[in-house]
This record gives sequence, C-alpha cells and structure tokens, in this order.
Amino acid sequence: MKKSMLCGLGISVFMVAVVFVSASAQAAETIKIGVCEPLSGTFKDIGERYLEGVEYAVKVINEQGGLLGRKVEVIPIDSELKPDVASRKATKLILKDNVRYFCGGTGSSVGGAMSVLAEKNNALMLSYGMAAASLTGEKCSRNFFRACLNTDTQSYALAMWVANSGYKKVLGIAQDYSFGHEAVEAFMKKVKELNPSIEIVGKLFHKAGEKDFAPYVSQIISSGAEVVWTPNWGNDLTLLIKQGKNLGMKAKIASYFLNDEYLIESVADDSAIIGNVTAEAYMLTIPGEENRKFIEGFYKDKGYYPSWLRGKAYTATMFWAEALKKAGKDDTNAVIKAWEGLTYEGPAGTWYMRPCDHQAQIPVWVAIMVKDSEFYKHAFVGKPTMIPAKDIEITCEETGCKMK
Amino acid sequence: MSDIPVFFLHGLVYAGLLFLISSGLTLVFGMMNVLNLAHAAFYMLGAYFSYSLLNATGNFWLSLIVCPLLLFFIGAAVERFLLRRVHVYGHVQELLITFGVAYIITESVKWIWGNYPLGVNLGGFLSGSVNLFGLFYPIYRLFMFFCAILISLIMATVLYKTRIGIIVRASVDDSEMVNTLGINVPLVFTGVFGFGAALSGFAGVIAGPLLTTYPGMAAEILVDAFVVIVIGGMGSLVGALVASLMIGELQSFGALLFPKLSLALMYMLMAAVLIIKPSGLFGEEQ
Repeated sequence: MKKSMLCGLGISVFMVAVVFVSASAQAAETIKIGVCEPLSGTFKDIGERYLEGVEYAVKVINEQGGLLGRKVEVIPIDSELKPDVASRKATKLILKDNVRYFCGGTGSSVGGAMSVLAEKNNALMLSYGMAAASLTGEKCSRNFFRACLNTDTQSYALAMWVANSGYKKVLGIAQDYSFGHEAVEAFMKKVKELNPSIEIVGKLFHKAGEKDFAPYVSQIISSGAEVVWTPNWGNDLTLLIKQGKNLGMKAKIASYFLNDEYLIESVADDSAIIGNVTAEAYMLTIPGEENRKFIEGFYKDKGYYPSWLRGKAYTATMFWAEALKKAGKDDTNAVIKAWEGLTYEGPAGTWYMRPCDHQAQIPVWVAIMVKDSEFYKHAFVGKPTMIPAKDIEITCEETGCKMK
Repeated sequence: MSDIPVFFLHGLVYAGLLFLISSGLTLVFGMMNVLNLAHAAFYMLGAYFSYSLLNATGNFWLSLIVCPLLLFFIGAAVERFLLRRVHVYGHVQELLITFGVAYIITESVKWIWGNYPLGVNLGGFLSGSVNLFGLFYPIYRLFMFFCAILISLIMATVLYKTRIGIIVRASVDDSEMVNTLGINVPLVFTGVFGFGAALSGFAGVIAGPLLTTYPGMAAEILVDAFVVIVIGGMGSLVGALVASLMIGELQSFGALLFPKLSLALMYMLMAAVLIIKPSGLFGEEQ
C-alpha cells in the first residue's frame, strides 16, 4: 500500500515537471511550418527535393535572425501522397503543436484536402508545386496560396513558344487518362488561338507506364511533326525521348519536365536531349544576382545545386516569409491580408500575389536544352528567356474562383 | 499501308522482350509448381547489377554473362534456404515467401542505388542503326529479338534433348521415383530455381538500356509477365512464346489501329483466352 502511494506520488511529481518543461518551451516558441510531401514510397525523391528547398530557405531566414524575432522550424510530414493521411497528420500538428503554416508541392489531391483543412482550422496552406488549376479556380480558398505555375499557365507558356517558333506542324502525345487528354486539348487550343497557321498533325495517347514507344514514335515520324508537345513525366518522358531518338525521330520535344538533371541522367544520351525546349518558374540558369547568390549559398551548404524543385520550394518559402514580415505578427488573418497584393523580388524574377484567387503571378522562363552546362557534366537547360507574367495571365473571371 | 512491316517489326521486338521476361517465371512454375513473385525483383536486380558493372567496366557483353550468373546463385540460395523450408506447408506459404523476398530486394535496391531512375548509354555498335530493306532500325532492338530466339532454342534443347532435361522433367512427374534412382531431387530443384532467376536477370540486363533502371521497374513488369503466362498456359514455354508474339503484335498494331483501346487490349486478349480455354493456350487441363 505504502509502496503504491509512493509510486503515485512519483508519477504526479513527474507529471508536474513535464507541464513545467512544456510551458517553458511554449515561451520560446518557434514559428512552425509543416511540409507535406511524400517522404516514402515511389515519389519519395520528389518530396525530398521539395523539402530540401524549404529547409534551406528556413536556414537562410534563421541566419538572418528569424521571423518576428523568432526562429522558424520545419516539420516534415510524410503525406504518402494520400489526402487523408496528410489531413490526419496535419490535424494532429494543429491541435498538439499549434502549427499554423503548411506547404507542399506534390499531389493536387493532397493540396485540395489541405486547402479545406486550412480553411476549417484558420491555418494557411502554400503550394509550390501542386499544379491543378482548380485549386485556385473553382476550389479556391482564402487560406490557400499558390506560388508556382498551374496547369493552365504552364500550357499557355509553351504554346506561346511553339506559336512563335516558326515550326508549322505540331503533334501532342500524352498518357491516356483525363489529365493527359485535358492537357493536350488545352495546349492545342491555345496554339491555334495564338497562331492559326500552325497545323496540328496528331494527338496520340498511350497507357501510363508504357514500355515500348516504338509504335507511337513511328506514327510521330510519319505524321511529319516538327514539334512534339507532351505533358508526360517520369519514365513515360524518359522513354519517349530515349526510344524516339533511337528510332530516328527528329522532331523537337516541348516539355515542362526537362528542367531536371535526374531525368536527363536517366535518358543517358545527350544527343537525345539537346535542342528540346522546356519552361518552368525556376531554373538554375536564370540570370541575375539573386539567383547567383542563392545557388552559391545552397551549393556551399549541400555540395550540389538547388535545381528545379529545390529552387521552386525555396523561392516560394521566401515569399511566405516576406508575407509574415509584412504582417508583423504571427496571425493567420494578418498574414493572409499582408500576402494579398504583395510583391517579392526573388531568384526567379518578380512575383506578385494576386488577391482575387491567391494565384501568384510569376514570369515563366523558357529555355532550349544545350550541350554544355556550368552545373553538370551532361546536357542541361541553356540561358532562358522570360515570358512576363502579364503575357500569360489568365484573369480571375476566367479561373472561376469566387473567394468567400 | 507502307507502315505495316515497321509495325510488324515493332511487335516482334516487343514480343522478344516479353518472352525474355516471362520465360523464367513460366519455367519455374512448370517445373516446380511454384508461382515466384520474386521473379520481377530478380529481373530488377539483373538490371541494377548490369548498371553498376557497365559503369565500372563499360563492357556490356561481360555483364550479359556475369549478371545472370550472380542471379543464379542468389536464386539458388533463395530456394535452398527459404523456399525449401516452407515447401511442405503448401503453395500459399511458397507464394508468401517469394513475395517477402521481392519486398526485401526492392527496398535494398532503393537503399543501395537510390530511389530515382538510372540511365545506361551503351555506346558503340549496339547503339547504332542498321539499314533493313530501306528502313533504318536500331541494332539494339534487333539484338533483343535475337536474344529471345537464342534463349528459347537453348531452353528447348536443354529440356528436351539432354540428360539434365530428362532428369528435371522426371523429377516433376514423380520426384520420389527419381529420388530412389539415386538422383538428388532437391538439388535439381535448386538448380531449376537458380536457372529461372538467371533468366530473369538476363532479361533485366537486356531490358536495362531500352527501358530505364528504377525501383518501380519490378512491379511494372510483373503484371505483363503474368498476363503472358496466363494466356500461354501456366508452365508452358511454347505457350509463353506464342502469347508473347500475340501480345507484341497486338500492342504494336493496336497503337496504330485502335489507339483508344491500347490500355485494354492485352487484358481483352487474356479475358478472351480464359473464356475459351481457362487453362491458357498451351496449358494442361487440370
């Protein structure tokens, strides 16, 4: 009896101690940002690259004294690319650790779920890669911000390049599911609108995860296409480029995902890469002092370059930090207010957060793939040209966003 | 249609790849009655070994010999130390243990080589093209097709014309009888399983330069291999050959003639075969 009482006393002392410790932790509280990325499974490598970008941004912010006099802390959340998993983990962080800021780049379905969650809990969700246009369109939310391109603006940018390229015959090839069909239709419509004299010589659809592109490449060759536009990514892009070259395809490939050294390495044939064209919000080759400083700093820290996803996540996170600075306090409503209409000069040019739908208006960089690169031993994106944000702007009326 | 010979050739080449990928699976099933779910993982290992060896030596022919050999020993070890222990508990346990092996291999590959795609550039003569009756065709694709023919000939000769083949086939029919004749039947099975793994590894080496070497490659190829052996008849080598040809040509001409169905064609063929002959084209009725 005595023993158990002693034991009970011990436990209560311990519990009081725990309360004290956590209270003192509360006093020096950091500003926490939850990063929802697939950190396991097939897309682990994509998620990790985004996460590295956010982590580096936070490192830079903390070195400059943090935000509002407080340190910023990154909390990685393995979304497993499942909306319900991301929501569950994020809810726990909101309730337990009072996390108010979330970001993510992989999986528009995760973005949709996080947007709803943020609105319910008066939190804030930032996307630097989830590209479905609807997230700042019909499904837009006051608590959701997007600081990257979306599928509509992306199609627009490359369509503009094709329309002005002097090539006359264009073909589209995509994975045979709704995204592929929509992307090809949207792209072709835009090209025709911008330059009616361009001839669309074919639209091909293959199954996702196709292994043999030979039957499709033969059709591309016999169509006489000069430019092949594709929304393909991952292995479906690698194999199209690699097997296409091998089978004698001469057409230029226009794709958003060539700005990726992993993809270029997986093709393992520079001659298949050179001459193709790509467009993105961030690439290593963007000129300017801001970008040079960022690349140098990152390289010094990590020993490799902040290409593509890393650069996108970094720039967007810095944009978020600017909003917090402007708001002057760690309060969701104040930050939303401060971010709307905010302009930020970063490594990728001038970014502006449009108040009506929270889709950042950002320039697109278009580049041809070249043989020599100062960053890699293989072919990489060349010096890009900028398409100003206003040239590819899709107005708020067109997006279908009605913000509450 | 001047394109017909081209598409026919595409179909043949893809059929060759399919046969290479499924032959090991159907061999092991036919001879040992084991459905080896680690098959695709062995295939992946072959591709990864080849990637490393090519980076180190640059000699493709060497990896074409060394990698299947390595896989033979890995396969034999899996049979000897894992599969044999669960054999007495029946098929489900055998299936599960190969499933487990597949998991372990896939995760180890991610751990060792990283979770991103790796590319192999062969260079040299194999990466060139050849003029085939006025049509430029990549040498590597033709090489792949000839490898498939070579493998099928070797397998047929070994199984049906040599003493080893007789022993293997006899062990399948009546293992006790063969055992009493003084032949070490468990050793025969270890050898067969190892050979099946070596075939998968060989397919991996061949497929590496055409497809990409990445951790998802195993899961993607497994379904195709199963469709081939289900259509051809589980355990039948001739069946695997015929089914590969049918699927290869169907995919190639399907992409040209009925592009909307390209996703479903292979499965439609499988469904049709299963309705007409549930045991597959060359499968034995049970």
